[in-house]
Amino acid sequence: MIISMDSSLKKITSLFTLLSLAAVSHAIEAQSVWDGVYSDAQASRGEFIYREACLSCHGQDLGGNSNSPGLVGMGFMFLWEGKTLGEFFEKIRSEMPTDRPGQLPAKDYLNVVAYILQENAMPSGKELSSSAAALDAIAISSK
Amino acid sequence: MMIKTAKPLGYSAIRAHSILLPLAFLLSASFSTAQIEDFASVTDEMLISPPTGEWLSWRGTPAAWGYSPLDQINTNNVDQLQLKWSFALDDTGAVQAAPLIHAGIMFIPSARGVIQALDAVSGDLLWEYRPAPPTEEFINSGEGTRAAVLPPGAFAGVGRGVQKNIALYGDMIYAATETASIRAIDARSGLLVWETQVADPTLGYFYTAGPIVANGTLVTGITGCDRYKEDVCFITGHDPETGEEKWRTSTVARPEDPGGDTWGDLPLRFRAGSDAWVAGSYDPEANLIYWGTSQAKPWARAVRGSDGDALYTNSTLALNPDNGQMAWYFQHLPGETHDMDEVFENILIDVDGRKSLFKMGKLGILWQLDRETGEFIKGTDIGYQTIVNLDPITGKISYRDGMIPRIGEELNMCPSTSGFKSWRAMAYSPDTSAMYIPITLNCELATFGPTERQLGGGGTGPVRRVNYHHPESDGNLGELLALNIPSGEVKWRYRTRAPFNTAALTTAGGLVFIGDWNRTMSALDAENGDVLWQVRLATSNQGFPISYSVDGTQYIAMPVGTGGASWSGSLPNELAPELHRPRNGSSINVFALPE
Ligand code: HEC
Repeated sequence: MIISMDSSLKKITSLFTLLSLAAVSHAIEAQSVWDGVYSDAQASRGEFIYREACLSCHGQDLGGNSNSPGLVGMGFMFLWEGKTLGEFFEKIRSEMPTDRPGQLPAKDYLNVVAYILQENAMPSGKELSSSAAALDAIAISSK
Repeated sequence: MMIKTAKPLGYSAIRAHSILLPLAFLLSASFSTAQIEDFASVTDEMLISPPTGEWLSWRGTPAAWGYSPLDQINTNNVDQLQLKWSFALDDTGAVQAAPLIHAGIMFIPSARGVIQALDAVSGDLLWEYRPAPPTEEFINSGEGTRAAVLPPGAFAGVGRGVQKNIALYGDMIYAATETASIRAIDARSGLLVWETQVADPTLGYFYTAGPIVANGTLVTGITGCDRYKEDVCFITGHDPETGEEKWRTSTVARPEDPGGDTWGDLPLRFRAGSDAWVAGSYDPEANLIYWGTSQAKPWARAVRGSDGDALYTNSTLALNPDNGQMAWYFQHLPGETHDMDEVFENILIDVDGRKSLFKMGKLGILWQLDRETGEFIKGTDIGYQTIVNLDPITGKISYRDGMIPRIGEELNMCPSTSGFKSWRAMAYSPDTSAMYIPITLNCELATFGPTERQLGGGGTGPVRRVNYHHPESDGNLGELLALNIPSGEVKWRYRTRAPFNTAALTTAGGLVFIGDWNRTMSALDAENGDVLWQVRLATSNQGFPISYSVDGTQYIAMPVGTGGASWSGSLPNELAPELHRPRNGSSINVFALPE
């Protein structure tokens, strides 16, 4: 079946796209990791998950070892600056822990992300949402 | 008995079991005592020339050929090999086991300090040593405590806790632990005799390589030296009787020592790396041990803050085992700057009367040194790397134009930071006069980044990493490369999609055994590389295959296991994504010909 879109339909579609984009950008403001994007409760739950599922490779102080990259400080910034929290979350959720990737509930991964932000001295604030759009709107930047 | 009556395993059957069990236990206990009463103490002479069929050192003998003189299994009959027994090893950490054989017993290290003694013919468990997990107090001790210890409740399968090799000497098994201690375990009973804390694990120190015994001294090399601290990596000599430390030799030149200026003006605390994470070899005539050291940390010069040679990183050290004194060193890659480790096994071969040492690092250069003097004899670049030029006369390397990384600038390099060669030891066969080398073909777009120059900081430094296939690989990651010795000419290559993931084993039967990440274990004709036999095992082949004989029957033992670094992680996952390995299934698998 071949559908030829007439120009008025095209207009409507693009108008709709514009409207929905506007709606999204209205709902989710562009933010950075310095804007208080996670809650203390999330970070402390995340610390527990980190100890259970990540510490053995990335270290108690998140500094990593010769196989596993560090998750704090200059190393973290070097690897993640300019990317979004959405990408960071997705990397962890799809690949970590290396021997059983994706095996934790999404909420646990989110809490670990909050904990990593806390350990990078980024301030706490509102609850971090697991919605992809919300995470994608948070930029990882240096101060 | 229960099975013969074909009754369902109901209540009475279970009760019968619970009555039988203690009896069975007693029987097996007395059986194991009987075995162990036959145990002849392992002497220095036995280590140097093992009794027929025994495998007393991690690579067979102190010369580390990875060669078995047994020939019952050979090119004519290897296709009839059968599984005799298999035994599951712990999945609580990475397994890269190098089993030992003595008195008909297999001693095998697995994850997290577990050591088991198995009847080498039947696979029955004779004893096991299983350390208690570290206490909360220990875990939480000290500033900067890190991954050297595992929190209680941690899940199975984490990538740490590997013990590659153990040593046998006298009536004892010696092991080095992930919490930086050395243990002596009675080989007859599995009971702990002594444990010596060698370094502070909260500073990051740990062991993955076990000890060797040389001239009555237990020699062990430590790792975990990537973080900045007021100390550096080292190799120790211990008294095997008491566990008392006899000597400690730093693998890093201290500022006040000879060679101390090769780190520029960096103070001791910023001289990291030179980990000694692979066990060495021993030449009893020269009374020297040969031990490799790793690259400097952080990996890139620009991140380390010095473009000096950084002694004694990426070197082969020749030490007197009685006092740890350095007879000579040879630095393979002075001022190394891409994570190209040279720490690996040292193979001692006499070539045309010249006492030589062969070694290959991640770059794929086969080095031949005079092991009495440390003089460079020959270097063979296998031709895959794009980083250095090797001067064939002097053995000095120089970096190719534009190949010294700058912070934040992408570098296109072969190999990747994983290297072509790794701990998967090569094996030598005196019958073919060839070296059999497990290689992983790979390259990387690498961008090296900065790290904190402060105590507790340092580490390897971050790398933005994009792996890609080596242009000459036809999409294959694995290569078993046979090189003629000493010419370095290629005898044959055998390639597979998955990386090879074990050491090579050569035998007098004209065979080479090797295993890959994708569960395939192979026997090849050492002369021409023909694949003569294959079998697929529970998970990745991983560790050090051996051969032994008991009562006239020859066996081949292949360890398989989970965990491991990028060779068994990101490389196959990213570059051979259609392949999958189970995330458990660590085991030892023993094969022989039909009776
Ligand atoms: C078994 C060891 C292991 C465990 C457990 C583990 N990791 Fe990793 N992690 C690695 C290794 C190794 C890498 C490097 C990439 C690779 O080789 O796959 C890595 C990479 C990462 C990266 C990407 C680093 C970068 O920027 O390139 C992040 C983020 C990360 N891990 C977070 C986590 C978190 C969060 C957990 C716990 C949920 C975790 N890891 C558990 C070993 C581990």
